[in-house]
Amino acid sequence: MRRYFRLHRIFIVQYLKRLMEYKTDFLLGAIGLLISQAFQILFIGIIFSQIPNLQGWSFEEIIFIYGFSLIPKSLDHLFFDNLWMVGYRIVKKGDFDKYLTRPINSLFHVCVENFCVDAFGEMLTCGLLLGYAIPRLELPFRWYTIPLLLVVVVFATMIYTSLKIMTAAISFWTKESGHITHMLYMTNDFSKYPVTIYNRAVQAIITYVIPFAFTAYFPASYFLTGKDPLFCIGGTVIAGTVLFVIALFVWNRGIRAYESAGS
Amino acid sequence: MKRLSRFFRTYRPFTRAGMQEMVAYRANFICFFIGEIMSAFIMYFVWKAVFLSSDSETFMGFTMEDMVVYLFITFLTGYLTYSDGAFSVGMEILDGSIAMRMVRPCSFEMCFLFQELGNRLISMTMIFVPMVAGVEIYRFCITGEVRFNLMYFGFYLLSLVFAYMISFYFNVIYGFMAFFFKNLWGTTLVKETLVSFLSGGIIPLAFLPTGLANVLNFLPFASLSYTPVMIYMGMYSVTEILWRIGLQIFWMLVMMGLSKLVWNSAVKHLSIQGG
Repeated sequence: MRRYFRLHRIFIVQYLKRLMEYKTDFLLGAIGLLISQAFQILFIGIIFSQIPNLQGWSFEEIIFIYGFSLIPKSLDHLFFDNLWMVGYRIVKKGDFDKYLTRPINSLFHVCVENFCVDAFGEMLTCGLLLGYAIPRLELPFRWYTIPLLLVVVVFATMIYTSLKIMTAAISFWTKESGHITHMLYMTNDFSKYPVTIYNRAVQAIITYVIPFAFTAYFPASYFLTGKDPLFCIGGTVIAGTVLFVIALFVWNRGIRAYESAGS
Repeated sequence: MKRLSRFFRTYRPFTRAGMQEMVAYRANFICFFIGEIMSAFIMYFVWKAVFLSSDSETFMGFTMEDMVVYLFITFLTGYLTYSDGAFSVGMEILDGSIAMRMVRPCSFEMCFLFQELGNRLISMTMIFVPMVAGVEIYRFCITGEVRFNLMYFGFYLLSLVFAYMISFYFNVIYGFMAFFFKNLWGTTLVKETLVSFLSGGIIPLAFLPTGLANVLNFLPFASLSYTPVMIYMGMYSVTEILWRIGLQIFWMLVMMGLSKLVWNSAVKHLSIQGG
């Protein structure tokens, strides 16, 4: 385990060195993410200029949930972005062989190879939004709020990463699966808003099928109101764990099926 | 006449290649499409919540029905006018294969244009009819009357063609920037977000402060999406439609001219590593 932590640090340092060569590119990526979030917030602002609340949710609460949704999203983006490449390119081009010949776990190696600093754009937005919303809301704060938050963030990130691992692993059979990852990944946008605005079917899907609701709305609503800790927090932990176990299973089966690219 | 027929004979194979490519990767396309259309549905639910929370029947002059038509037709328009020839230019510059294109006896951007047209033709058949039908059925269910207007629809199609041409040349210009930036992910994100905002894709221009909205209405970006969508919705009178389409043609010519200029200067800067 300690060896893996040490390796992870080395990989990040290597990546940062590479990055220094492309400073402007990194900056543009981060700015791009920042601007795209800013326009969304402007949109919410315009809506709230006309209505007092959105089905009972105040502007600050919506901003809190939106900001919260960016925590696991940006963490997953920062550390595990390379999984996209498995489905889009690595397997198709036969480059996956490289990971199998190394004396470390292939999944670990794929994940840590790229340290996606663009995610700092999302993190900055997230910080700004939460920094705006939290002082304006009366959040129930107890001694265990912070540790609980850390636990939730870990498991919520696992939901994102596990879905990416699972869909990336499909490419071991089909050679290419980036589009499937994209399709599932885009559902995460549903979690930016309170799930109460959706109809029953959508609610059921994002709670039980592709449980993105547990990455933002449910935990965020617990931190907002202090109600339903068992479902909101427990659900996140369970969803994260279950998905991660399935993801590992699919990944390992996939590696057995992997047969490289011809010639 | 002879030149024209030769022109089409030269570029028809590119259209066919584009169509074949699209057919071969249709599963990818559909997955991608479902992922993208999700955002339109999220907006639909957000707007539904907005109208439920609002005392008034309209939101800044838009009814719920207008909003739904706006959302989905904007999405469709954005999808059909989207042009990623730029990205290929960038990739070819990075790996040097652009050199091959420069020695061929055909126009550089025409190859992309005709290939993409083939591509669009297939995606049209897959998404255009279902989406327009869906929107119209929704309108019928909500208002209880047929709102579909053939004249507006015809103008919409015409406007869509110009919107695509503007988008195409704009993206060709942008693609040449790859000569200077060498990497595209970050810049593309910035560009797409800005274009989407300026063309009314995120917030209808009518919701913005009047001064800003007037300026944006005149810029080429409104021609990309806002103009055709407003025409479809029947928001413009016939004279206004003609005026708007004239503006689209103007911007199309500007973009064509600019792309020629950028191309000429970019060729001078091009250096291809290795061989």
